[in-house]
Amino acid sequence: MPKFSIDPITRIEGHMGVELDINSNVLSTAPKEYFVTKALAKVHMFRGFELFLKGRDPRDAMLITQRICGVCPNPHGMASVQALDDAFGAEPTPAAILTRNIIEAAYYTYDHPIHFYLLIGPELGIIGAHPPMVPPALGVEGIKTLGLGASYAKCIEAQRWACEVVALWGGKFPHIQSIYPGGVTVKPTLDKIASSIVRMVSVWEFVALTMMEDLYAILAADERLKEVTKAVLGAKVGLEDIGVCTGNFLSYGIFPDHTDYADWLDPSKRKKALIRSGAWSDGAFVTFDERKIREDVKYSYYDSPSGLHPSEGETSPKKDKPGAYTWSKAPRYDDKVYEVGPLARMINTFGTTWKVDRIHPTTGTDYGPVKYTLRNPKGSILDRVAARAFMALLCANNVFKWLLELKGYLDKPIVNYKDVPREAKGRGLWEAPRGALGHWITIKEGKIARYQCVVPGTWNWSPRDDKDRPGPEKLH
Amino acid sequence: MRVTRRNFLKTAATLGAAATIDLYKPDLLEVFAQAKDYWHIAWLNGATCTGCPISLAQAADPDLLQILTSITVGDSGLPIALPDYMQVLHPASGKLAGEFYEDVWKKTTTKRKILVVEGAVQDPGYCTIAIKGVEKDFRDWLADAATIADYIIALGSCASFGGIPHAKGNVTGAKGVAAFLKEKEINKPVINLPRCPGHPDSLVLTLASVIIGVIPELDSYGRPTVFYGMNMHDGRCPYRPYYDRGVFIQKVGQFPAEPGEEGCRYKIGCKGPVAFTDCALRKWNNHVSYCVEVGAPCIACSEAAFPDGDTAPFYQELPSLPMVLGLPAETWGQALVAVSAIGCAAHFVKRVAKKKEVK
Repeated sequence: MPKFSIDPITRIEGHMGVELDINSNVLSTAPKEYFVTKALAKVHMFRGFELFLKGRDPRDAMLITQRICGVCPNPHGMASVQALDDAFGAEPTPAAILTRNIIEAAYYTYDHPIHFYLLIGPELGIIGAHPPMVPPALGVEGIKTLGLGASYAKCIEAQRWACEVVALWGGKFPHIQSIYPGGVTVKPTLDKIASSIVRMVSVWEFVALTMMEDLYAILAADERLKEVTKAVLGAKVGLEDIGVCTGNFLSYGIFPDHTDYADWLDPSKRKKALIRSGAWSDGAFVTFDERKIREDVKYSYYDSPSGLHPSEGETSPKKDKPGAYTWSKAPRYDDKVYEVGPLARMINTFGTTWKVDRIHPTTGTDYGPVKYTLRNPKGSILDRVAARAFMALLCANNVFKWLLELKGYLDKPIVNYKDVPREAKGRGLWEAPRGALGHWITIKEGKIARYQCVVPGTWNWSPRDDKDRPGPEKLH
Repeated sequence: MRVTRRNFLKTAATLGAAATIDLYKPDLLEVFAQAKDYWHIAWLNGATCTGCPISLAQAADPDLLQILTSITVGDSGLPIALPDYMQVLHPASGKLAGEFYEDVWKKTTTKRKILVVEGAVQDPGYCTIAIKGVEKDFRDWLADAATIADYIIALGSCASFGGIPHAKGNVTGAKGVAAFLKEKEINKPVINLPRCPGHPDSLVLTLASVIIGVIPELDSYGRPTVFYGMNMHDGRCPYRPYYDRGVFIQKVGQFPAEPGEEGCRYKIGCKGPVAFTDCALRKWNNHVSYCVEVGAPCIACSEAAFPDGDTAPFYQELPSLPMVLGLPAETWGQALVAVSAIGCAAHFVKRVAKKKEVK
């Protein structure tokens, strides 16, 4: 069976390649049809955060772990600071919860559009023959005359404004500086709130109007695609039929309610959060139980034990381990293969039909809600792309709500200050744009003794587990 | 030009985040309009977090959009500095991406090849990349590219000095580009632009400098003195008056009530005194803010030892408070407050006396 490799996979953070076994012998009527019978996802890079964090002041972790990813540093910072909140026994103040939500929501309105337009966008623009989403190959003229790259170009602008809002509260982006156990370091002021609103209005317009318009164009293009495949292959194949997984969707939840943090602190609840936690399976919601997470390493370059819960996790790299093909461990939940990400968030929170309002934050104009119904119960490219756009809109809507709420906390404490504990354990469970993210810390003698991260990329691009079951991405 | 699918894909694949110039836009635009020759950029990433290119995407004046579409080379109509190869943004994947590296950048004979490197260099086996079907260690690609590059820029702390991956306790032997090239006896100068992430202005302006033929003056760490020549604490900090008066934030998040509800961040771990960079002046994200402004300490991410040496632990104050005229600043602070109090009292007495006179 011939092998085919796509390496490097571009437009990602880090280094990855995919090795495919191809069977070309299926449909004799269709010219040059290839079917993938086996896929290996290989993560090619190892830095070793879980090793060099040991022995450090626990607070260093909230800044260092952001450098796990410079596209998504914020969620790492948030997961880390929450692990420290937990370990220090320092529940964040309401002002701090709002500030963290604002930083994160603004950040999402940069991240999801970047993915939608710069990372996966070119494929969608080309497959959908939708010029605004194709990179602006013909420059200014091309944008003007052909609309070639018009939305791609607007995205570059809008993401910058969103990141300015992140910087207003976080110091800079990438890599924010204003989180601290028990709260944040940054005082809320009216001018920061006003400056944020001004920028977020433009971001909101981009997300609610341009991005949604492009989503609908892709949905329409998908219909045309299905007509083509029906004619050529004899069956309708659209983007909702590609990228199918297990139908198991895992979410840890994000954006707690600042008036009911107790709900947030129990990861199996999180009912008041904007996005819920959950372990949706077989078409129904399942309550999330953090104890059911484990990581296998049979095919990963580690000789640490397999099947550990991350609070007891270990990382001993072994780059020449026989049979291994990747630096990613294989996370599993409840001994099943789970997908994480925008689709997992929407399904666990809203089920299979979603509706989000589009009311302009300052003019009050109602542009009509956007609605979507899940196409494929086991997930698909189309469903994930739609979920991403809907999440971006949810964040754009809610950042205004939180900014205005924060006005009521201008003189309130921003840190519930606690000293570094001598012996403690903590965990932080959050949602990065790519999906469920967890950090687990053990502190001994006031220093980090163990630090483990299970990041969304490893759920979705996981290798085969100890039972030889492939991860989500390889089931397509 | 007729856009066919084939030439479209090829053209689209050449795009990526480019960097160009613009502090003095009109002058530089004039210069570029006359530049006949095209600069080739290859951007390699090693042990990286990708924060550096994301940081570049935050460039303002010019912003990335202007860089990609408005500023063009002579009559070519092409944007000024278009990377031939850049993994994080290339529309092409796999072999097609590699073609631009192998067939375009490497085969260019003009003396106008710039290599931008992001990410640390590690021991063999920890970072492998396939280019045009050949899988090799990043360090081997780097050695190959550095040998033929005309200029080498290390963007961010990782590529400059090893950065986060070279933290104490790392097992991958992470180091910066310059240290690696020295080991391999590849005798090429490297311009280091540390900070974590790299600051977009530093890349844009350095590329601009190189393109117009001005090699920036470098300090002993290979950093352009224009960005890194001044100490943050001594030469840049807007909170220095608080330090001089002995007014400190004693605990994170608890700001002094007076005099301006602000305070020096020294006691919460600020490493400004050992940081040589211009963040306080230039700030970040279109000058909206920077680390210290949001009530946090500077962590001196511009320094070679980051995240260790003098920079660690991040929230613990530096062991020795720099002296001012032979006395620690706290003493000065107390003295000045006392003097102020006496001064105010004297002023009050005088005013009262004057009022009495007027009556």
